[in-house]
Amino acid sequence: MTGGWRMVGLPVLALVLVCGVLGVQVAHGGGEFEPLRPADPCVARTVTSQAGGLDGLTERLVLIGIDEAACTLGVSREALTLELAQPGPRTDEEIEALRGGLLSAVGRMQEDGSLPPASALVDEALDNADLDDFLKSVIRALPASVIDAAVKTDDVLVRAIDELDLRTLLANLDDQDDLDEQVNAAVTQAVKDSLLARLRDLF
Amino acid sequence: MRRAAAPLLAVTVALVLADSAVVTLALPDILRHLDTTVGEVAWVLISFNLVLGLCAVPVAVMFTRLRPRSFTAAGIAVFAASSAWCAVAPSIEVLIAARCVQALGGALALVGCLELLVAEYGERRGVAAWVTAGVIGTAAGPAAGGLLTGAFSWQAIFVVQVPFAVLAVPAALALHAVAAVAPDRHRPALRPNLTLALLSAALTAALFLLVLLLVEGWGHSPVTAALVVSVVPLAALAARPLARIFGPTPEVEVAVGCFLIAGGLAALALLPSSELAWTVAPQALVGLGLGLTVDRLTSQAMEMRFPRVEHAGWTIGARHVGVVVGLAILTPVFTADLQDAQVPAQEAIASLVLDAPLLPDNKIALAEALGRELTQQRGRIPDLHRAFVSADLDAGERLAAAELERDLDEQLERAATRAFRDSFLIGAALAVAALLTVIAPRRRTS
Repeated sequence: MTGGWRMVGLPVLALVLVCGVLGVQVAHGGGEFEPLRPADPCVARTVTSQAGGLDGLTERLVLIGIDEAACTLGVSREALTLELAQPGPRTDEEIEALRGGLLSAVGRMQEDGSLPPASALVDEALDNADLDDFLKSVIRALPASVIDAAVKTDDVLVRAIDELDLRTLLANLDDQDDLDEQVNAAVTQAVKDSLLARLRDLF
Repeated sequence: MRRAAAPLLAVTVALVLADSAVVTLALPDILRHLDTTVGEVAWVLISFNLVLGLCAVPVAVMFTRLRPRSFTAAGIAVFAASSAWCAVAPSIEVLIAARCVQALGGALALVGCLELLVAEYGERRGVAAWVTAGVIGTAAGPAAGGLLTGAFSWQAIFVVQVPFAVLAVPAALALHAVAAVAPDRHRPALRPNLTLALLSAALTAALFLLVLLLVEGWGHSPVTAALVVSVVPLAALAARPLARIFGPTPEVEVAVGCFLIAGGLAALALLPSSELAWTVAPQALVGLGLGLTVDRLTSQAMEMRFPRVEHAGWTIGARHVGVVVGLAILTPVFTADLQDAQVPAQEAIASLVLDAPLLPDNKIALAEALGRELTQQRGRIPDLHRAFVSADLDAGERLAAAELERDLDEQLERAATRAFRDSFLIGAALAVAALLTVIAPRRRTS
């Protein structure tokens, strides 16, 4: 082996090996193997639910609502979710952003036609409602068109969101029964208010 | 006994130097078994290397004035006894104390074995046997430790050393060596020792961090990790035949070795996924670099310098102080990065759980269980499988949950890989610094 080759042979091989390994790795995404970055909450995303009825509606409403609230607060949806999952007091800004987010979610779902008519939810809502059994039977006997004419889903949801004490609700996230009780009470009251308002409009 | 004496002493040299990194793969098991923290468990490595690094030169100086075989035998006996003590240590504090004693015995054994091997084989062959045994021990230590931990337990690492060391005690006494009278007294070789120290710091990044990434970050067993990191010693074995093909000068060989280690560490910082195959080529680069540098630098630092043991002491000191410096720099960096990785990992987990195709109630139950695991992680990567086992899911949703678990595990792997990136890059920078010490112009002497 010549003197020149003795000097450069091994360095050239090392250079080829190192550049080759780094080149192949970078070409296959080396340096980009990082955790998923949270999406921009201000860009609307398609929200679906595996559940039907009230559960599915609630899930979609909450998912869109958190997106809207995170957008208002200037944080990611994930950061807000993790923050809300922690125990402790909520700021007025957070409560307002969340309420505003849920109300915006109702508007968005109404616009894209994904809000179900009231008649599709009435059976499930009556199961959870604290009403007299006779009254429940009467309501169940009503034709769907009558129910849909009397009760508008978006109106009930907006009233229920306004009715909800979000601060108390967020403080009791771990207690599922307490959570259900608060939401049912707010929804029942919202239905009553919505019906009264409709009656007032008729006269 | 006399015929087996020299090989037994070479094995002792390999064992002592393997001990520098042998516990690396056992650290996660030690961490769990002794219920300690990442910061504390790192001292199982640091204490050994620190004591060995600091004691090597004073012990070597002492050896030039004493009877080598008695003190070698005493050193090996202390090493054997303290290895047994490590195996039965009931707490992290006791284990660290035992490791300090083990390193002190190891320092006596290392310099003593050099004198006895030279007495038995002659100057050139004796030094070569001592250097080669050290390189083999250093390279194979982590893999051997991982296999023993996986097959038995972390204590097995220390138990298997005891019989070899016990046999080496009469072996040391069987050989005749007199205290070497140095014909001249040379100053320590600054440049090769400095390069050795910087490379040892860089190699710490390669071995210590890679096994932590494999076991803690990617959730592999110590046995799998041991098999994976065995690429390093295998590649180191290929380095000498490769160098013979080109026949470079020793300086070129060392410079190329430093460059390969830097390249391998940079490649470990830029892994495209958590598939084990991606770690093979970077490790091969590191192994080739190790094979080209460590024995060559050790020989350079000792060549024609007397007293021999004193210069051997300087090489041991440089290597192990280098390991300590590497750990001292890298441990706070990667523990802080691991801490910083928690937020993006939790956000990625939250994102996937929110969008998971599960019923709302199951999603909430799973989120609560995952939250419990994440809050219990104590600076370590959480085991999310427990959350999926504890969550009461409907049979119809198991498939979606299993897919979600795979996705979440991938996010954790991504977060861990990202958390180790800066540390690997620091390791690469240390190897580049070692390269600079090799290629820096030498001062002209008249």
